[in-house]
Amino acid sequence: MDRRATIATLLGRKPGAAQPVAAPLVNSGLEPYSGPWGYEQAAHLLRRSMFAPTYEQIKTAEGQGMNSTIEQLFAPVPAPAPPLNHFYQDDPLVPVGQTWVDAPYYDDVNARGYRRQSLRAWTMELLFNEGVSIREKLTLFWHNHFAVSNVNDAKYLYKHISLLRKYAWGNFRELVKEVTIDPAMLQFLNGNQNSQNAPNENFARELLELFTIGKGPLADSGDYTHYTEEDIRQMARVLTGWRDVGLFSTNPDVEVGSVFLPFRHDTGAKQLSHRFDNTVINDLGDQEYAHLIDVIFQKDEVARFICRKLYRWFIYYVIDENAEQNVIQPMAQMLVDNDYEIRPALEALLSSAHFFDMLNVGPMIKNPLDFILSSIKTFGVEFPPGLGARYNAYLRLFSSSVLQQMEYYAPPQVAGWKAYYQEPQYYRTWINATTLPVRMLITDTITTSGFPAGDFRVRIAPLAFVETIENPNDPNALIEEFVRILFPQPITDDQKAALKEVLIPGLPDFEWTVEYNLYLANPDDEELAEAVATKLRQLLQAMLSMPEFYLS
Amino acid sequence: MSLPILLNGFRLSAMPRRSLFSTLNTDNDRVLVIIQLNGGNDGLNMLIPLDQYDNLANARLNILIPEVEILNMTDTLGFHPQMSGVLDLYNNAKLNIIQSVGYPEQNRSHFRSTDIWTSGSPADESWTTGWLGRYFESNHAEFPEGYPNEEFPHPFAITMGSIVSETCQGSAANFSMTLNDPFSLTPLTQGAPGDVPETPYGEELEFLRTTIAQSNAYAETITEAAETGANRVDYPEGNRLGEQLKNVALLISGGLQTKVYVVSIGGFDTHANQVEAGKPLVGEHSTLLQNLSEAIAAFQADLQAQSLEQRVIGMTFSEFGRQIRSNDSFGTDHGSAAPLMVFGPCVNPGVLGDNPEIPDQVEPQSGIPMQFDFRDVYGSVLMDWFEVAEEEVRTLLHNDFQYMPVLQPCSTVSAQEAIRFEQEIEAEAFPNPFRNWATIRFRSEGEWVRLSIFNALGNEIRVLSNRRLPAGQHEVKFDGHGLPAGNYYFRLQLDGRQKTKRMLKL
Repeated sequence: MDRRATIATLLGRKPGAAQPVAAPLVNSGLEPYSGPWGYEQAAHLLRRSMFAPTYEQIKTAEGQGMNSTIEQLFAPVPAPAPPLNHFYQDDPLVPVGQTWVDAPYYDDVNARGYRRQSLRAWTMELLFNEGVSIREKLTLFWHNHFAVSNVNDAKYLYKHISLLRKYAWGNFRELVKEVTIDPAMLQFLNGNQNSQNAPNENFARELLELFTIGKGPLADSGDYTHYTEEDIRQMARVLTGWRDVGLFSTNPDVEVGSVFLPFRHDTGAKQLSHRFDNTVINDLGDQEYAHLIDVIFQKDEVARFICRKLYRWFIYYVIDENAEQNVIQPMAQMLVDNDYEIRPALEALLSSAHFFDMLNVGPMIKNPLDFILSSIKTFGVEFPPGLGARYNAYLRLFSSSVLQQMEYYAPPQVAGWKAYYQEPQYYRTWINATTLPVRMLITDTITTSGFPAGDFRVRIAPLAFVETIENPNDPNALIEEFVRILFPQPITDDQKAALKEVLIPGLPDFEWTVEYNLYLANPDDEELAEAVATKLRQLLQAMLSMPEFYLS
Repeated sequence: MSLPILLNGFRLSAMPRRSLFSTLNTDNDRVLVIIQLNGGNDGLNMLIPLDQYDNLANARLNILIPEVEILNMTDTLGFHPQMSGVLDLYNNAKLNIIQSVGYPEQNRSHFRSTDIWTSGSPADESWTTGWLGRYFESNHAEFPEGYPNEEFPHPFAITMGSIVSETCQGSAANFSMTLNDPFSLTPLTQGAPGDVPETPYGEELEFLRTTIAQSNAYAETITEAAETGANRVDYPEGNRLGEQLKNVALLISGGLQTKVYVVSIGGFDTHANQVEAGKPLVGEHSTLLQNLSEAIAAFQADLQAQSLEQRVIGMTFSEFGRQIRSNDSFGTDHGSAAPLMVFGPCVNPGVLGDNPEIPDQVEPQSGIPMQFDFRDVYGSVLMDWFEVAEEEVRTLLHNDFQYMPVLQPCSTVSAQEAIRFEQEIEAEAFPNPFRNWATIRFRSEGEWVRLSIFNALGNEIRVLSNRRLPAGQHEVKFDGHGLPAGNYYFRLQLDGRQKTKRMLKL
């Protein structure tokens, strides 16, 4: 089905009938993009690869060109400094200002709570300070992919997310191996309960269905084309024997990790189905799980499966015939050819003609984290200086994302967030009567009064930013530039007129110039500066409430 | 002429005051409609002081309305010829005019002055909340958390347009929602339906627009009110203010319990072509005043036809008036105080305050000095219309709040029979003109006395007295050494009564 028809179906329209048979809207594929490189292309690349680039970052990318920007996005970044105890006075082992990630728990269960809060705040701060790097966007991609949830020990979560971050664009196969015996995953999908005498198939099932090869059409009873029910049973046997250690441990000698317990491991031969060429897996002890992953990755369907997920994460949710043939297939082949290294295939996608096709610019509804970060990062928001106040401010943002139905460290399903798998709604699941008021509230707050963090108010400070654009004293130029900064596609002249009405209600254009220049000429007049800032905030409040801003 | 504002020996304004209306209607379903005149309205061209006509002719001959064309309200005051609709309101005792409303330390920046008028802040402070936002918040501290709810299912305030009015800004959220078309809750800035491209981007945008419009928490109540309500008169065509007021009337008629509506009309920044060259009766300002007057008249007629007018008052404001002198572009530049209009059958009909005094020699940049503080107008409306206690008004606006009789229990008396609320203040400056020293002589009844001097730009430059004085005759000296020659004004405030008079330094 071509994209237009697919969309029509998604909208509940009857395809065909009155409409002529349309050619696919997008014909481009994975071939390298060779069109013009300008602000729009730079902005598109960075918006999709990051949690909201700043204006300066986009301008820099525009200047340095596509290849250097891609290189910068994939340049190695040191692992972030760990989260800190931001306020809790009663942890005898972790003073305020120190990290808790290697510290044992102690008898007071309250320490569990502050560590979780600290992890959340730290995560938001990482997203805010990500720099020009695709790492955080990929970390969340993997988090959505493996979807670990219901694990309450912040040390487990920290270890888990650090693993995903380490592999951001690394080797997919090796990542799956490590995740298979990661303590958080062992907890999450009951791998720790999987033993010779009491096999637990939970992880084996998701490993095939959601993490690697995906479920194909039902070919026969218990046969999902790519694997069978019997494969799940056999693979569960392969994975027996692993336990996580250190959950909420108060023992200073126990580190969070996993151990292989030979007595819990099923040492018998495991016979896979014809879907895996009737492969037999014999006992390999604590290396058997890794061998199993190698066997699964022999199947190129794994590459196609993950490429489709990457496509929905970075491009659009509809994968039409053209996208399947000219993007997914060659990209999957590239992944196979590169031994499942993510980077070359993803670089090819992000520098492809398909990616920069105008029709792929703008149709992605921002997820809550993208939405929140793009509303604050674009214009520069200051956070309070003290650790406690700063973390609390980030926790405010975190709570907003939770209310918008995206909670980091708590994907709602094993399949991740619905926006990336649930037909036919996909991205549209983010938008409903519950989440919309929360979205409106956060942008209204951040643009007007700000939210309190200690003595500090976190809000957009538009004056410094505005000076970085060309001709800020021309209201039309100002609005044009704001549109380019905030929206993925142009807006109509009527909309621009309406926005000007917000900036200078009922006034001729030159009054903006007069007032702005007056402010520039009197830099010490706080009331004057505040008056100009207020107008800019009102403009931003209006723009951030427009649906165009909800799109990327 | 003058009404003794005494009750059991106490001046009313010295007592904590409850609403004038509270015994009449305990279920307060009153509506306040605010008309914002964006850009700075030239009050002198809207409401012309006939007793100052010769001096006006000296200062603004190229824009001045010929005397014979002015619509006389009183012997000394007349409206612009396009304002017959508002004049009718005056003649039917539905109009209250407050002369020379402003604030000390007039700021002539549009933005700054608008902030001051919408927030109700002093001129030297920036407040982030609006005066009506603070009023709403005093009763609904948790808003927007938990709203709408069963008890308060309707929006507290509605701004007709694309952006919420700053007057309704609370500390957590704005109490007003925007509305362009009560039948389609898609804000204007979101674009007209159908103007999205036929692309994936367009499809997603369309989806967002529709969902946003549908999920407005107040969508149901507004749509219901719009469908239930009616308009009973024709509104002027092509008049954007009229269209906004038509929708306001529709929603009130449909039973929406919204207490505040903010409508606006722009274009008052008439630096040039306020009138056409040689044709002072036509031009931009004339069109604006025509639109204003016709829209208000139609709105009032609509409310009257539906027996709704006793529930509604309207009030205009603009960020400043304009300078007394016109410029060579047939326009006027940013000035100071200007008249403010309050309309509806529940106003105290007539004119509050004196005509502004126009000097025979008007210095460049001179504006009209304030006689009344705009916050006193706001506070008096809050007290009498929304039953806010006087102590609370002081908290919401300013501590020096002085009650003004802007409203009265709804009645149908004509302007001629209207109660005169203001006892004439006896005050004069001598010698006048003066060289360095002037003396201001006045009589007081034991009130708090605030006596200050304003320069021609409308800035308060000296406070000569700010304390309670015993009843009797007083003389206060003003030392004008070092001040440039020119026009000055003393402003005398005796509790709620104000007088502003000109004095000339030689």
